[in-house]
Amino acid sequence: MMLLAKAALGLGGTIILAGAYTMREGVIRVDVDEFRSGGSHVHMWVPAAAVPMAMHLVPDKHWRHASQQAREAIPILHAIVKELKKYPDTDFVEVIDHDQHVRVRTRDGKLQIDVDAPDEKVHVLCPLSTIEDVTTQLEEHGPAA
Amino acid sequence: MSERYRTLFAKTALITATALILSPLGVLAQSTTAPASSSQSTTSASKDRWLHVRVMSSDAKGETVRVNVPLELAEKVLPAIHQDRIHDGKVKIDIGHVNDVDLRALVDAIRTTKDGEFVTVQSNDCDVRVAKQSNHLIVHVLDRQNSKKSEVEVKIPMKVVDALFSAGKDELDLVAALHALSAQGDTELVSVKDHGNTVRVWLDSKNVTD
Repeated sequence: MMLLAKAALGLGGTIILAGAYTMREGVIRVDVDEFRSGGSHVHMWVPAAAVPMAMHLVPDKHWRHASQQAREAIPILHAIVKELKKYPDTDFVEVIDHDQHVRVRTRDGKLQIDVDAPDEKVHVLCPLSTIEDVTTQLEEHGPAA
Repeated sequence: MSERYRTLFAKTALITATALILSPLGVLAQSTTAPASSSQSTTSASKDRWLHVRVMSSDAKGETVRVNVPLELAEKVLPAIHQDRIHDGKVKIDIGHVNDVDLRALVDAIRTTKDGEFVTVQSNDCDVRVAKQSNHLIVHVLDRQNSKKSEVEVKIPMKVVDALFSAGKDELDLVAALHALSAQGDTELVSVKDHGNTVRVWLDSKNVTD
């Protein structure tokens, strides 16, 4: 029993450390539900800390291609994210139209976009720091870099 | 160590290990449920100046639009936009569409003129008033057509108008106008009221609307 207890402590400690490291930047959450025949249902939870690690695995040619495609949007996105980080808990846009509800806001340093309509529901939650990391990487791989 | 303490220690270690293993799930649950349950906005940047837009419809559908934009954010983001007529926070205006009127000269003339009414139109259907009052340019339109009264009031500080026209001849300097706006006190800029809709654009230091 003593051996089992020691092993459990070791395993528990490892899991808590790994969990804390993985969850330190929160979770990227994407939920898409289309309520029609053949509609998509996407539910994705990804630890935000995994994104910068995964970015190192993306080949340069893909970065260059993505950077080329998004070259006009990158400076705007970068400026928006940089400014949004100053407003970590703010409602920016809310539109209510009968049974449709759209909301864009920041919560706990995450960008939250919610669309609730009778035919679809979209909920996106992404840490601003992760968006900033991605835009920085895209900038670094851009034509001027 | 006696057998009794040895067993107690082992049990404690097992409980601790179980708690450690389950704790990340708790963190995960909190990180995903907290944003959904939170509906309060903080006043983290309450000293900033905020531009608010609110559209309320009183019809059956009850449309509501609320937009809250920190002026500082708009000032920083606008120069990053380079599309069509917008470059470096300035928007090009088509001189052909202003019928050869020198807008800068017009603004300059209004600025140097004393307070007063520039345009007053009164008819059975419509009243229009354009005036300068307490360093504000005021446009007021009252439309009585179709027995459904609608009213538009625009009140822009002259410093903002000046800043807007401070760029080149065929450009409006949006960033300069926002910067000038941020120096103003709490004020209502645009108000539109008709039988079914209310539109308000105003400036204050709160990051939430009522």
